[in-house]
Amino acid sequence: MATLEINDLHARVAEEDGERILRGVDLTVESGDIHALMGPNGSGKSTLAKVIAGHPAYEVTGGEILLHLDEEDVADIDAELDDEDYHWKLLELEPNERAALGIFLGFQYPAEIEGVTMTNFLRQALNAKADEREELFEDEDEESAEADDDDENEGYETSPMEGPADDGEIGVAEFQEILSEKMELLDMDEKFMQRYLNAGFSGGEKKQNEVLQAAMLEPAVAVLDEIDSGLDIDRLQDVSKGINALRDEQGTGVLQITHYQRILDYVEPDHVHVMLDGEVVKSGGAELAEKLEDKGYDWVREDAFEAA
Amino acid sequence: MSTQAIESLSEDTVRRIADERDEPEWLLETRLNALSALETAELPDVIQTPGRRWTDLEALDFESLVDPVNQSDTTERTVGDDEVVVLPFTEAFDEYGEVIEANFGSVLDPEHNYLTALSVALFTTGTFVYVPEGVDVEDVTVRAEMNSRSLFSQTLVVAEESSSVTILESIESGDSEVDEDRYFSNLVEIAAGENASVQFGSLQNLDDDTYTYSLKRADVGVYGTVDWIESNFGSKLTRSDVESELNGDGAESQIVGTFFGTDDQHFDINARVWHQAEHTTADLVTRGVLDDVARSVYEGVQDVGNDAWNTSSYQRENTLMLSDDAEADASPKLIIHNHDTEASHSATVGQVDAEDLFYLESRSIDSLTARNMLVEGFFVPVLEEIAVDEFRDDVEELVFERLQ
Repeated sequence: MATLEINDLHARVAEEDGERILRGVDLTVESGDIHALMGPNGSGKSTLAKVIAGHPAYEVTGGEILLHLDEEDVADIDAELDDEDYHWKLLELEPNERAALGIFLGFQYPAEIEGVTMTNFLRQALNAKADEREELFEDEDEESAEADDDDENEGYETSPMEGPADDGEIGVAEFQEILSEKMELLDMDEKFMQRYLNAGFSGGEKKQNEVLQAAMLEPAVAVLDEIDSGLDIDRLQDVSKGINALRDEQGTGVLQITHYQRILDYVEPDHVHVMLDGEVVKSGGAELAEKLEDKGYDWVREDAFEAA
Repeated sequence: MSTQAIESLSEDTVRRIADERDEPEWLLETRLNALSALETAELPDVIQTPGRRWTDLEALDFESLVDPVNQSDTTERTVGDDEVVVLPFTEAFDEYGEVIEANFGSVLDPEHNYLTALSVALFTTGTFVYVPEGVDVEDVTVRAEMNSRSLFSQTLVVAEESSSVTILESIESGDSEVDEDRYFSNLVEIAAGENASVQFGSLQNLDDDTYTYSLKRADVGVYGTVDWIESNFGSKLTRSDVESELNGDGAESQIVGTFFGTDDQHFDINARVWHQAEHTTADLVTRGVLDDVARSVYEGVQDVGNDAWNTSSYQRENTLMLSDDAEADASPKLIIHNHDTEASHSATVGQVDAEDLFYLESRSIDSLTARNMLVEGFFVPVLEEIAVDEFRDDVEELVFERLQ
């Protein structure tokens, strides 16, 4: 059972006189729970998602992001673990290290990457996650002993054009099996795998692909940024099925950023939060989303203003 | 001409080279004419931008670079089919003297510029490829190692009517005692007859003491096709020109280029096509990567002549910079004298996209691996244009080697 804990997080655009966007965010997401994060445009929702993942365009000016793990979350690790291995300060880690610990960001606008096939990308990602975890959880005294070897092992030994070598962490057969299963759930055609990563994908296909990647990488916490925007009703249902499966089958905690009540009919949230001007100003159950749908955000603003 | 005379270069030297190779009289004449042309010939044009001449050929010290009588190479020529002739010139004169004489210098004028004249006067290696009418051969390979201070190579491909051939040449530095600057010159001419199809791939991976000059030109006949693949990875300085003259109706040419510069390598890459007949098609595609303080300058020219009705001509060039200290310039040029033309031309110079990088990193992939995936992915669109698996594999491997 993992917990993502965000305390008094402040962030601004990483440039001179960059705009302050997050102004003290407090939010906790536990694995197995589905959280909806709602709020008007410009309230800081997407920035929060990117800051959690470590996007270099933002500078954190205060607060912390913690990830707490338990035995279950490190079942794959052989090394002897101490207390530090269960509590991580994400702001001190690189984006790829955060990902390896179990943070997943589903992008609102996924990058289109020419020349890298879906198959190669997914295998590379799975193997990288396994390798990175091994490094993160490595015993302290082993770390220094292996430092010398690392120089030689640096870089990557398999060309993405050829596909990773078969001696990676995940065997080809096993990979294919998991992949087929996840793709069927999302109603995705197998032909996807030979295409270049998101290149020429429709808006809906890109969103399906984000959920597919989450399913493959089995994150502790998935932050899904407007995964429902621009989807027709059929695809919305496929994507929703995928998100529910993340929770039900893998126990992933989901932080779902959305503008619309619509997806919440299919992915029922345990918690709903409202973000305004860079802060989470109101939290409640599923009924809060319905109220927002009916009444908009003005009343939340008034409430927050009165309380202040 | 301002270019310096080379002391060691004399008529005697040229006669000695021709003598040792037991060459026919006409070739000696050609060499001697080239030698005397040196007095007036100009160096190739180079791109100039305000305040800057990108490739300083004038600064090349030919006096010390050129050692005409001590040229040495190890060249391995293989061919899967005995219907095609693949020989060093010295072994081909007896039987194919007339074909050679008729075509030598017909596509690429030896006196085109100072460097071509120098090359023709002094060449001691190279290959004659003769594909008789109707013959279809896929796997001709010419793998050369340069062992001397300087080396001049001359290749002639004659593809007769309705013949088809794929030729892959590679040049590397062999083991040798030479640790000074070196000079490699490579001239290739292709005469492609009616309905003939020639695919010519060239892979240059010389060591970083070498200055390389290469000019390849094709004359493409009616319904003929000449496709070039020009891959440059090695050398301190490379000047490469690949050119197709589409002289027959329906002629086609594709020029695919790749380069990857590291340290202080310099690439001057040029692709040119002349549309001189009706219904001709050209496609110029070049992609290059620069790291460290490497530099590249690219010129692409599509010249559509007065009589080139119904022309299709496309050109795109992309340079990816991995370092803030690398420099690139690109000029795609489209010259249209006949407006019955469908054409496009573009060039970009850019860096690895930060959002692409972050996307991969957010999937657990470390930043160096992510960057390398993006660089290899960048080359894929040009690799996909390479129909020959062996050649594509070689290029991939060289790209991979350069990604640390």
